[in-house]
Amino acid sequence: MLMAVKNQARCTFLAIKYGIVKEMLNRVSFITNITFMILNNASMLIQWIVLYSLKDNIGGYTFKEIMLLWGLAASTYGFSHAFFYSSFKLSDTINKGKLDAFIVQPKNVLLNAITTHVSSSAFGDLIFGYLMVFIYGFSFKLFFLFTFFTITGGLIIVAFAIILGSLAFFMDSSELIADNGNNLIVHFATYPDGIFKGFVKLILFTIVPVGIANYIPLQVLINFDIVKFLIVLSLTIFFISLACLIFKLGLKKYSSTNLMSARI
Amino acid sequence: MTAIKVENLSKTFKVKVKDKGLKGSIKSIFKPKYKEIKAVKDISFEVEKGEIIAFIGPNGAGKSTTIKMLTGILFADEGNVEVLGISPNKERKKLAYEIGTVFGQKEQLWMHLTPYDNFKFFGAIYDIPNSVAEKRIENLKMLFELEEFMDTPVRNLSLGQRIRCEIVASLIHEPKVLFLDEPTIGLDPVVKENIRALIKRMNKELKTTIFLTSHDVGDIEKLCKRVIIINHGRIVLDDSMEHLKYNYLNKKIIEVKMKEKVNLEDEPGITILKDKGYNLKIEVDTKDKNVADVIKLLDPDKIIDINISNIPLENIISDIYKNEEK
Amino acid sequence: MRKYFYIFKSNLIANLQYVSNIMIGFITYFVIIFIFTNLWEYIYSNPDKLINGYGLEQMIWYVIVTEILWYATGGRKLCNKISNDVKSGNIAYNMNKPYSYIGYSLSSHMSEAILRGVLYTIAGMVMGLVLLGPIKDFNLISIPFVLISSLLAVLINILLVICIGLTAFWVEDSGPFYWIYSKVILVFGTMFPIEYFPGIIKIILNYSPVYVTTYGPAKLFIDFSFESCLSILVAQIIYLILSVLLASFIYRKGVRQLNVNGG
Repeated sequence: MLMAVKNQARCTFLAIKYGIVKEMLNRVSFITNITFMILNNASMLIQWIVLYSLKDNIGGYTFKEIMLLWGLAASTYGFSHAFFYSSFKLSDTINKGKLDAFIVQPKNVLLNAITTHVSSSAFGDLIFGYLMVFIYGFSFKLFFLFTFFTITGGLIIVAFAIILGSLAFFMDSSELIADNGNNLIVHFATYPDGIFKGFVKLILFTIVPVGIANYIPLQVLINFDIVKFLIVLSLTIFFISLACLIFKLGLKKYSSTNLMSARI
Repeated sequence: MTAIKVENLSKTFKVKVKDKGLKGSIKSIFKPKYKEIKAVKDISFEVEKGEIIAFIGPNGAGKSTTIKMLTGILFADEGNVEVLGISPNKERKKLAYEIGTVFGQKEQLWMHLTPYDNFKFFGAIYDIPNSVAEKRIENLKMLFELEEFMDTPVRNLSLGQRIRCEIVASLIHEPKVLFLDEPTIGLDPVVKENIRALIKRMNKELKTTIFLTSHDVGDIEKLCKRVIIINHGRIVLDDSMEHLKYNYLNKKIIEVKMKEKVNLEDEPGITILKDKGYNLKIEVDTKDKNVADVIKLLDPDKIIDINISNIPLENIISDIYKNEEK
Repeated sequence: MRKYFYIFKSNLIANLQYVSNIMIGFITYFVIIFIFTNLWEYIYSNPDKLINGYGLEQMIWYVIVTEILWYATGGRKLCNKISNDVKSGNIAYNMNKPYSYIGYSLSSHMSEAILRGVLYTIAGMVMGLVLLGPIKDFNLISIPFVLISSLLAVLINILLVICIGLTAFWVEDSGPFYWIYSKVILVFGTMFPIEYFPGIIKIILNYSPVYVTTYGPAKLFIDFSFESCLSILVAQIIYLILSVLLASFIYRKGVRQLNVNGG
């Protein structure tokens, strides 16, 4: 069992390494992509400068805290896209029958299918996230917690993308729905939860899990709370398991009915 | 020893049927209509260890579906499959360590990496220690003549070189059975010939059982001792190559355009298929007559144009059907 | 002119089959508007308050309109297409055809833009009416002016993006230029009216493309007056003429460059 995990890890590590090597083949565009993404995120802060000139508390957060919120939104997005970029292209992989190559390998089909590409601009997001940590006020505790939530949040975003991508097993033209669904997370993650109310807030903590990926972690970053910390950890595990389960069900359907491969 | 055992295998696809236009699109969202297509109908066969078997048939005959069921990508609706004693549905991962697959139309390699890096990656996928992988890569490099382009990114290789790399990548873990789905598709004749020779050598040296699908008669002629022909999801012939050759593959079609009219009549080994005076179409049975002799009969000086070809697979199949009916 | 109309028409028909794809894109549009509604409701804690001369509902309608203009234009795709045409040498094939490349690009992209514009307008109006109800003191006279101004805004925007795409004659990748342009439009043009920005920035924005491509039509929609209408339309016409001249100037320069280099 342990050996199998180790072997799988070796594979995944190699796949990600090769993905990075590919992105770095063209050094100029690798660095431009990263730089522009950092500038891109920074430019969105102009909006908040204007808004905070009108009011010094938005959704219960100060300007500094909003910068940290942006930082976390960027780093979770960055983490998920940097290493698991192909989870956002999963519907395409399924529809074009590219999954077959992974099915015949003696490794985890899902994990191999989501680690075939690396996005260079996503490293810009990651860097931007940590820049915000320094602006907010660096401490080892904050740095550690921020890293921890970057990973949990990133994995939740990946899990959400896997669930949306797996729709391709069950319906036609799910690709655009998946794209739009993945956009939802980005849009909500860059605004404070305090401005939302009632039903929407409920959705943001359940079906569209921005609350667990970003909002609660932000609260923990500002004011550490062990209960909330554990809630985030367990819900992350829950979402990952749910994504794996849905993918597994889809894969089973793919193998038994095989609606797609008939579209030769 | 049996490597592959297939009993009464069947597979039906459901295909969504859509009416034309916007109305049809909307209708199909709410009330999808399905058409059933029987891709594989009740087929049974066995393959011995070390054998090269060709599984041939025209496009859409059910070849790929069968190979997908043998490798665990698809589950069978009915029937039983065992590869090396393992059921592909139940123990996909276990089987994956024992078999190799090459899909001629689908890339498994990383395009921006060199063949060497790719092979190392496949080594990791099959849990092969680095030192062992190095040694095998070295051997396979010799066997498949990859020296020249070991360090060239795969995307810069020609199609033939790429296929060779695909095959090597699927051999790193020394599979006992290798599935080749249309390995020579899209290749030019010289390269095809080269790939066939390599496959044959590999079978001899590594003792790998090879299950090969193709719609190219040439592939089987050169490679296999046994052939299974499939059409419309059914096995129409499961026979030794020798027998098949004797009955079907020894026939050539000669089409000639002559300066003058010739009088040629049916005789043992020669069948006139079409005679339009100056244009002739002749079937030659090479058991009884050499192609060269036929050309001599025609008087080579008077030939304007000549075309000699094999009987197309489609004709062989329809021939087999006709014989069955008799 | 007639041939450009045909290009426009045939592209429009070709694009009609993607209507359902465009409509799936509404999801993102709705979410953006929804988030802004919540944001402004939070900031306007007292709904009757005015900030920089605008009320709560006007601010939300402002975003509804500017986002329609943004989605209708679809600049990234156009910029990529133009710069690919330049890079791949496609543009050279267009040189000996009896139409201008810019006219061709403009009319074929306009068909897409108008189709998306119409669909997004319907979506935006429905969304606005559901969220906010009918607009207070809405002046029916403003409708034709808003439409004309929106059309001009999209035209100018497309022409400017074509200019950016054509820089591919000289630079390896026109992407960064488009990126800067689109950021300026997004950050300064879609979220707040120009009046929200302080001193010198406000003055600069009044002369920038932001004024004619997003602010103008949206301002007329939420706060119509004949004075502002006149100044916006005049500014748009000046911008339109200038951008046509600029685009053809860049194109001619670029083609000459191509000839010198032998394509």
